[in-house]
Amino acid sequence: MSFLEIFQYTRKDSIIHRLDPRSKMLFSVAAAAASLMFLNIIPLLIAFLCLIPIIAAAKSMKRWLRSMKGLSVLLVFIMVFNTLLSPVPNPFSHSVALTIRLVALMTSFSIFFLTVHPDQLSQALIQMHIKFEFAFAMSMAMRYVPTLAQEAYSIMDAQKARGVELDKGNPIRRIRNIIPIIVPLIIVSIRRALSIAESMESRGFGACEKRTYMDRLSFHKGDWVVMSVSIVVLVLVVYVRLFVALPEWMLWSLPL
Amino acid sequence: MTLVEFVDFSFKYLEADSLALKHINLKIDPGEYIVVTGPSGCGKTTLCRAINGLVPHFHRGYVGGHVYVDSKDTRNSEVAELATIAGLVFQDPSNQLVTLNVEKEIAFGPENLAVEPKEIRFRVEDLICRLKLEPLRDKHPHEMSGGEQQRVAMAATLALRPKILVADEPTSNLDPQSAQLILDLIADLNRQGMTVLLVEHRLDLVSNEASRLILMDKGSIVADGAPRDVLVQDLCQEIGVGIPKATQVYKQLKRRGVTLGRVPLTGKELAALVKEARQA
Repeated sequence: MSFLEIFQYTRKDSIIHRLDPRSKMLFSVAAAAASLMFLNIIPLLIAFLCLIPIIAAAKSMKRWLRSMKGLSVLLVFIMVFNTLLSPVPNPFSHSVALTIRLVALMTSFSIFFLTVHPDQLSQALIQMHIKFEFAFAMSMAMRYVPTLAQEAYSIMDAQKARGVELDKGNPIRRIRNIIPIIVPLIIVSIRRALSIAESMESRGFGACEKRTYMDRLSFHKGDWVVMSVSIVVLVLVVYVRLFVALPEWMLWSLPL
Repeated sequence: MTLVEFVDFSFKYLEADSLALKHINLKIDPGEYIVVTGPSGCGKTTLCRAINGLVPHFHRGYVGGHVYVDSKDTRNSEVAELATIAGLVFQDPSNQLVTLNVEKEIAFGPENLAVEPKEIRFRVEDLICRLKLEPLRDKHPHEMSGGEQQRVAMAATLALRPKILVADEPTSNLDPQSAQLILDLIADLNRQGMTVLLVEHRLDLVSNEASRLILMDKGSIVADGAPRDVLVQDLCQEIGVGIPKATQVYKQLKRRGVTLGRVPLTGKELAALVKEARQA
């Protein structure tokens, strides 16, 4: 699952990292829309190639390449099956286009997730008028995932030490084996939740209707540029898709 | 002026069979450094919770008597209001860190109470500097050691500018070295004028700094006074409180007919006293 790395925030100092999450969100949506509008190799390649410099500007080329390498097996798999099973006249060409589209889609969203810290994401949501409680619940989930994972591992170890054989037996038995892990994990989590609630309560959680924020996100020049470019791209792509016939060279496809 | 006053305070948790606190009478003055100790289940934690109103507002139950914090009756005040007077630090640091980095963590309390953003930024920078958290600034809580987490939790509590710091066994999940760091930090804060109530088992580490030691057993306060006066009583061993080694030696010597000048709390003190006795 190493290809999921491109959806994981990495701390870097780059132009892209410094942009406001909201403008990046719009940009990712525009880029994704661009690749969803077409099903020909050339326009998809153009959309995809436009994203590469942005990944480079985010100083994440290495990470991106590594993820793509991890993804390559899956891509080949998709290509082979699509070619064999697709009913369209040029099945190979079609599946190449689909593959490029998948990669372009992943890349456009990875630009967002690679460069937006979860804290910034929740702050962005709050400033987009999502209730604080919801945004905070999301960031708290991210806070406690590693903690709970660790707890799950130690419960597994404890049960193994008592002779529970987790990876033995037929599938049904294996599923049954999860019970001695899940039950203690739920109990421990509920206890933990109570204790977290206690500590939040004693720090005034929910005390004021209008809470303040130390740092608020604000738009800078670069954000306005990204926003306008994204909107132009979005409008242009939709317009071309609906009203303009693509020139011959853009419709080029592989002979197969 | 008394900062915290328990007046004949009793409490029973809803689901419990017996009283967690029985007729507690206690006065805490500004600037004191109080250590509370006693066997588990003796009511130490409930005592801490009563100071900032978690008992009876968060943990429901039957209440008798009153607790006054900065002359406010905790029965009629909200936890959030009391949080700016009494700051609690809990046992498990990982349950106290609810955000993804140190700055946000420290800002969390003041943000909840709608403090001005500029003022919050000031408090955050001030606490990061005072508690030496600079190297941790951007770390996820999961990447920190227990001691580091507890230091951040302490900073987050202090961000509300409380008048009394109540720490409920803040070192029990930590290794001895990190524990010592946290206890040094608490002693430092006390020297700077913060009133402290600390629940701690390792009396070896704290009784020298403390101005007052309270012994609890089965929901009651059974001894309350200067650490030396409390620790020398046989009551300590009876209820199973581990007294400092130096005090133990003092008591052993006394049983065998050797009486030193006064009750020592540390090895250093003991050595000085023995030297004195030999010269005499």
